[in-house]
Amino acid sequence: MPVLLCIGLSHKQVPIAVREQLAVATEDLPGRLARLRAMPAVREAMLLSTCNRVEVFAVADARNAADDVLRDLGPLAAEHALIRVEEEALLHLFRVAASLDSMVVGEAQIQGQVKEAHARAQEAGASGAALARAVSAALSAAKRVRTETAIARGVVSISSVAVRMAHKVLGDPSGRTVLLIGAGEMAQLAARELRAGGASEVLVANRSAAAAEALAKEVGGIAVGLGELAALLERADVVLCSTAAQQPLVTRDLVARASKVRRFRPLFFIDLAVPRNVDPAVNQLENVYVYDLDDLERVAAQNRDLRVQEVQRAEAIVREEIVAYARAKQERAAVPVLGRLRAQAQALADAEVERTLALLGPLSERQQKSVRSMATAIVNKLLHRPTARLRGELGGPLADAAAELFGLQEGGDPEPTEREDPPPPASGEPPAASREPPGETGADVLPLTGRK
Amino acid sequence: MGNNPAMATLLVHIALVAYAAAAAAYLTWLVRPRERLVSAGRALLFTGLLLHLTSFAAAVSLSHGEGLARAGFGSDAWKGGQLFSLLAAATVAGYLALDLRYRLPVAGAFVAPVTVAVMVPAHLVHSGTRAIAPELIHSTALAVHVFSAAAGTAALALAFALSLLYLTSEKQLKSKQPGRLFARLPSLELIDRVGWHLSVWGFVFLSVAIATGSLVSHEASGSAFPIAPKEGFAVLAWALLAGLIQARLVAGWRGRRLALLVVAGFLLLVGTYAGLLAAPQHVSSAAAALIAPGRG
Repeated sequence: MPVLLCIGLSHKQVPIAVREQLAVATEDLPGRLARLRAMPAVREAMLLSTCNRVEVFAVADARNAADDVLRDLGPLAAEHALIRVEEEALLHLFRVAASLDSMVVGEAQIQGQVKEAHARAQEAGASGAALARAVSAALSAAKRVRTETAIARGVVSISSVAVRMAHKVLGDPSGRTVLLIGAGEMAQLAARELRAGGASEVLVANRSAAAAEALAKEVGGIAVGLGELAALLERADVVLCSTAAQQPLVTRDLVARASKVRRFRPLFFIDLAVPRNVDPAVNQLENVYVYDLDDLERVAAQNRDLRVQEVQRAEAIVREEIVAYARAKQERAAVPVLGRLRAQAQALADAEVERTLALLGPLSERQQKSVRSMATAIVNKLLHRPTARLRGELGGPLADAAAELFGLQEGGDPEPTEREDPPPPASGEPPAASREPPGETGADVLPLTGRK
Repeated sequence: MGNNPAMATLLVHIALVAYAAAAAAYLTWLVRPRERLVSAGRALLFTGLLLHLTSFAAAVSLSHGEGLARAGFGSDAWKGGQLFSLLAAATVAGYLALDLRYRLPVAGAFVAPVTVAVMVPAHLVHSGTRAIAPELIHSTALAVHVFSAAAGTAALALAFALSLLYLTSEKQLKSKQPGRLFARLPSLELIDRVGWHLSVWGFVFLSVAIATGSLVSHEASGSAFPIAPKEGFAVLAWALLAGLIQARLVAGWRGRRLALLVVAGFLLLVGTYAGLLAAPQHVSSAAAALIAPGRG
């Protein structure tokens, strides 16, 4: 029986200093997914790497496949990672998608990130029907949470928390200079918000001049070269960092020198990058403040506390959706047995009708129709109660017993007349069936009741 | 009203009740941030101040025009604490002016309770009365000295309050651990800017107070620079504030460093008043006039 696994860590287990060492760059994803797919016990896998988490969701033949995945994540991850299995893994997937496990509960970005991670896994041929169904159900649950609760109402996104903290340090942004380094989405949002709040100029620095120009147009700023960073730090009041650089771009010495030139005017760094772009030691300098993602989470947590009731409602919705998911899966398991049972009975009845009609000699069209109807009615009446019981009990041991009793094992003859419903596709995704790699079984990930 | 000495005392009592109610409103606002509480606190402080100033006017009318130095000190009930009464009124007036411009309710939550804390002992303390030198009764220098000292002290008291706010807020921002009241604190930039302006005003008033105090001392005792704890602390506070202004203008100091200097400067000023009260036999006639004007 395939099992769903979740192996990884998030902002809840480790600080940003650890996460930044484990983050998987976009260009490395196909390779990492190929490695996961190549593991003998792993049938399907997807890797969710965001600023706040590095987690692998996998459908595997056995639980011990988690050890292989853990080894692949590296020794640092192995030290801190959590392994979740089956129901626990499924619950985690649903909670992550519903933004209940986010730094800022209720933020919408995580839904897109889950969708994106799954799409990448499909592109790499690592995800099949089982993961597609689980992810799709998780995203549906997330959508329900957003529409049926006020969890997202008044939500303080990381970017708005960052802007609020900038206000706390610098007051009114009017006349201030904002420096945007990198093209991260959250940093762009924060820059736009500061611009709307009255910031006099937004300077956009990027490794590529063309990218800086394009981004500057988007945020209504001025493109500048990253090579002028020292001079830019003398000019800026708020610095938003979100580059993919693996080493800090902004060092203590650089800021200390700039601070003297700027006569100790306050300087506020918002570091939204993982790995971090600003050396944490910069925060020790006088009148200089550095907030990274974990710091912003602490502030956002206050907001989260205020919405405890909404979070509880959202958790209830997630639980309901998980029950519905499990039920649907069990129904899918029961339907093939029913289909095969009906097909077998109908085939037998049809054969007997044909033989009887041959023995009776010439009959009118109406008489022949009556005989066929009678046979079908007998089949229907005979199968009515068993069908109702199998549907009512969602398969389970009864489905196994029926299959055994009537010789209805999968792959046997005749072919089932009812087909398994394809999973509801996530919005914007092609149907799961068309994405399934050849040879995939499409096994469900949550065991049926009584069939564990 | 002016013919009844008890009226001035009664007015101060009512003012004190208003200050206490304002303090309650501001402190409640810290716990439950309702705008109505701030409006109520502001209105109560303003009412208290009006009553307080009216009590001063009543006292002046009772002094039969014997000089501004007697303002607010004519009542027997206000002997030892009348100095604090004047300083409290000046601080409340300064706060209301600041609040009008910058909206700083969190400073109100500091000023109102401190005003009550200063005014209550001012009611209870009964110190001995001291004579004002006859030659100072009509001295303009004494009047300017008293009011510039009061204004300077009020400005520096407010700067001190803002510096404490700055240090608290800055610590929370640096440690990334915002406290429960963090949301009520104004921006560091605003606290720093207002604190700086108040420090400059405090320095200006203190300079005038020291200069006029020297004149008053010369008129009373013939010595322009008497050696006494009060004068020593005042000069130290003045020098520290001068250094603070120099550091800001020349070296660009601001924020935490400046806040610490303001705290130190205000504590030295407190030392001045402690010197004034602890060693009355050494203080100038002007100081004696401040603390015991009842007997001309």
